[in-house]
Amino acid sequence: MSTLIAPRAKRPIITPARKRPMTAARAKRGLAPYLFVAPFVAIFLAFSIYPLVFTARLSFTNWRGSGAAEWVGWDNYTYLLGNSGFWGSLANSGVLWLLIIPAQLVIALLAAVLLDNAKLRLRSIYRIAFIVPFVTPLVAIAQIWVVAFDQNYGAVNSVLNLVGIPDIGWLTTSEWSKPTLALLFIWKTTGFIVIILLSGLQSIDSSVYEAAELDGSSRLRTLWSITVPLLRRTIMFAVVLQTLAVFQMFAEPFVVTQGGPYNSTTTAGYYLYNHITRGDLGTGAANSFLLVIIVMALSLVFVRLLRAKD
Amino acid sequence: MHHHAPRRIASPRRIAALGLSAAVVLGLTACGPDITAPAESSSSSKLQAPSEDSPSGEITIWDRSGDLYEVFDAAIADFNQVYPDITVNHEAVDIDAKLQNTLITGTDVPDGVFLDDAKIAGLSDYMWDLSDVLAPYVDDIAPQKVDVNSVDGGIYGVPFDSNPGLLYYNATALEAQGIDATSIETYDDLLAAATEYQAKVPGSQPIHLEQSPFLGQLQLEMYASQLGTSLADENGDLRLDSDEYRQILGFLDTVQKDGLGTRAEYLGPTDIASLENGNEVFYPWAIWFSFAPQQLLPETSGDWRAMPLPAFEPGGARSGAMGGSSFALPKDGENSELAWLFYKFLMFDEAGYTAVWGPNDVYPDGLNTSIPSYQPAADSSKPLFAPVEALGGQDLWAVATEAGAEIPRSAPIPTWWAGAVDYLGNDIQRMLDGELTPDDVIEKSTADIQSNLVDRQ
Amino acid sequence: MTIHRTPTPITATARALHETATGHGRADAAELVSKPRRGRHGGMIVAQVFLILLTIGFLAPVVWALLSAFKPANDIIRAPLSFDPTTFTLDNYTAMFEDVPIGSGFVNTGIVLLVKGTITLFCAPLAAYAFAKYDFRGKNLIFGAVLVTLMLPTIVLIIPLLLEMKQLGWVNTYQALILPGAVDAFAIFWMRQVIAAVPDELLDAARVDGCGEFGIFWRVVLPVIRPGIAGLAVLTLMNIYNDFVWPVVIASSDARATLQVVLSTLAQNITGNRIGADYATVTGELLAASSVALIPLLVLFIALQRHFINGILAGSVKG
Repeated sequence: MSTLIAPRAKRPIITPARKRPMTAARAKRGLAPYLFVAPFVAIFLAFSIYPLVFTARLSFTNWRGSGAAEWVGWDNYTYLLGNSGFWGSLANSGVLWLLIIPAQLVIALLAAVLLDNAKLRLRSIYRIAFIVPFVTPLVAIAQIWVVAFDQNYGAVNSVLNLVGIPDIGWLTTSEWSKPTLALLFIWKTTGFIVIILLSGLQSIDSSVYEAAELDGSSRLRTLWSITVPLLRRTIMFAVVLQTLAVFQMFAEPFVVTQGGPYNSTTTAGYYLYNHITRGDLGTGAANSFLLVIIVMALSLVFVRLLRAKD
Repeated sequence: MHHHAPRRIASPRRIAALGLSAAVVLGLTACGPDITAPAESSSSSKLQAPSEDSPSGEITIWDRSGDLYEVFDAAIADFNQVYPDITVNHEAVDIDAKLQNTLITGTDVPDGVFLDDAKIAGLSDYMWDLSDVLAPYVDDIAPQKVDVNSVDGGIYGVPFDSNPGLLYYNATALEAQGIDATSIETYDDLLAAATEYQAKVPGSQPIHLEQSPFLGQLQLEMYASQLGTSLADENGDLRLDSDEYRQILGFLDTVQKDGLGTRAEYLGPTDIASLENGNEVFYPWAIWFSFAPQQLLPETSGDWRAMPLPAFEPGGARSGAMGGSSFALPKDGENSELAWLFYKFLMFDEAGYTAVWGPNDVYPDGLNTSIPSYQPAADSSKPLFAPVEALGGQDLWAVATEAGAEIPRSAPIPTWWAGAVDYLGNDIQRMLDGELTPDDVIEKSTADIQSNLVDRQ
Repeated sequence: MTIHRTPTPITATARALHETATGHGRADAAELVSKPRRGRHGGMIVAQVFLILLTIGFLAPVVWALLSAFKPANDIIRAPLSFDPTTFTLDNYTAMFEDVPIGSGFVNTGIVLLVKGTITLFCAPLAAYAFAKYDFRGKNLIFGAVLVTLMLPTIVLIIPLLLEMKQLGWVNTYQALILPGAVDAFAIFWMRQVIAAVPDELLDAARVDGCGEFGIFWRVVLPVIRPGIAGLAVLTLMNIYNDFVWPVVIASSDARATLQVVLSTLAQNITGNRIGADYATVTGELLAASSVALIPLLVLFIALQRHFINGILAGSVKG
């Protein structure tokens, strides 16, 4: 990858973006941006920032939903930071991240690139197939997940038995519960990533493919050396979004494992959810801010990686 | 289209700057709804019955969806024959998701709500103290049910059902091996019978061992209730570290160590298969297991019977409570006193409790997954529901009401009970895995529950 | 690896602008793909096998749910993997229609979809345009706050938001279902990224032609980012349709219950710990309700495929 690859071409545009001298046209813009953001900002202030500030305050209290709130300072934060359950939930989410993101990205990328091809047969059926899980209520699927992955009578183990693999405790052992949950999450959300990648593929200039075509590159090589670098920003966007989703994940463990066995599927999101359903709103609020800090740090790492590759 | 456009999402420095500005926003703690206002005075928290003869108005009643919703729904017509001017607005609601939030905001609060006994203590701040209206009935209600609804001298729920623990057993399978289950009187007898059955049916694991941490802990509390104890005493203090719990955990540990237990989740695929093929023949569980032979076990339906639980010591109580629900009346409800009339009718009026447990459209033979907690209704000689075909025509009513009468007194269920599953529920499973001894479970769970739940109330 | 013949950055830019303006880019690409090439056939077979396997994996659980809804309720629990068409029944459906207000659930979801979706699809790109292409005071502050809310788990905002709704007297109203989250952080974040990709030269050219600032957004930016908008439309539609955490707590009356609220009413007995008796009946009703909820959306997707998803795929520009 030594010659031109499109990302290089971005450089000149990126750097001077802020330093561009004020032109007359630019000065004329005046009020426009304020008007453009106004509807959003109004809704955002009223229904995001206001409750956010409230939550920030809650995190320093022991409020349980009734009566007066007592100010407890940093107690909720220090409790969580010194609690093995909190760190355990983060570790669980971290492992799930490793199980989910790389696999999902490869599947979604291959699927998106293939679906992008207008000549693909059965394309409309595939598109629907990817979207269906995303709009199917999770609770309707929980039952089949539990049944299919039952250790003794599940369909999955029956199939594995055929090829000589002994029964696996998918839902009953700490080692296998995470892969089982990861599969459910991949099943549920891959369609979402495919859509994002598909729209990212649109901004790739076809002439790049033309060049590769003339060069006689194989498809996979084209994918790896041209499409992926060009899509990198969209891919990073998807990774950041999925990182948020994995750390906040709670519906999947809620319907299938209730966080078990042995809290092995108690994700960061599920752990947080438990505080709130038990009425411990202060700890729940503190937990979510700690989560924001951690997720933000992770995002920073991704952005740094992205820059290092540039 | 263009292949070199996007400006970067954000550089690290930029994110840091944005984070900082966000922190500034968060720092503006001067706004936000006020939560420091003092709680309303609790002087008027005792509900009084309405004084007029035929009161009128509209009440909203929340129930969870499913069979009980339909049973209560059908009983409304009977209620309206007595109180024609009260309109009952009956809603099937996801109570776990909605109730707490609705109570916090105090908007559109229902007049009455169906609630697990385990939730009563935690929500008692929002509920009417019913001790005045319940006064005429309280002596006739199963003491254990009064206890779980009592917090600091008040009673915060109208007790609904009793859920006595019973020993369900596959009579046909046991008799085929010459084992007479009815002679079982203690848990030692049960172990002996299980050992004998296993010897005759190699590969069988006769006794159910619950694998769900939540239900496992609930079952533990059934055994504890039998011994007159529970996780917390009436002051909310933890009392897991006791001989009673040592004895119960020791029993479960023995079942597992001796290979006598089928470890499975309640009516999961493994459980159902083991029940159907005769490997699992003893099921110590709440009365509501009766649902399984009636609906989920066609192969062995008719083979099952129920009997009182074995006792831990000869002469000990033969049952304990497992689960159960009550009706709570939120203080913010508009017509709480009319809702009280509704529950009074359902629970304490013969026409009411007959409509609930007796034959109805939903259950032609009556509702046989629980019994009334109101003792005059739970008369063993006056059955409300019919003998159960799936139990070989056994009179489950008589078995259950007699067992129910043996349940010792109890204490309110602490707010953190469900939270304790993360510790105690899991530690029981670890014990069954062979990783912990009963003493380990008690020591570890006591420390964890104390520091993570009790101390943080 | 090395690519020998590539357009220079300058010609590529020119070409990109040209294609952006004329919409010929995809046509070229389609032509390109149709050209015979080495190993194409084998590659296509592998691709088809990959996609068919994925499709089976993705659809199997849904097919199971759709078929199970026709089984007697007890059989769903007892024999989940067997299907005997002779025992198929509509009992779950009739019971479900009797027990839960699914009809009004559809109406409410439809209303919320329409209004909330319109607000999102208009306000998010507009604000994102300002974030991507203008410098203005407070921009970083607002965008920083957007990032924070994107990373904050929604669940923690529920109770504060609920208290706010109480103060406004909005509990059980459509505005409470619609406005919170109407322009969510994700939409802004994504649209900003999409719009950032539009070359400044294009905007400047429009400005030279005398286009007003809003006119640039409406007549230049929106058409160019149509694929992104189409993607946002699909994701917004699905997100609103799927949302249940907020609707469940804010729509406590049947009159405002959305489809997901109705489903959650049924789901509680299954996701809970099965205390009590008859969860089989409710499972049957839940599967019936889920099928009923899924089918209109599928029909909608199939019917709108051309307009919606092809919008993402075509990326052509009109005018």
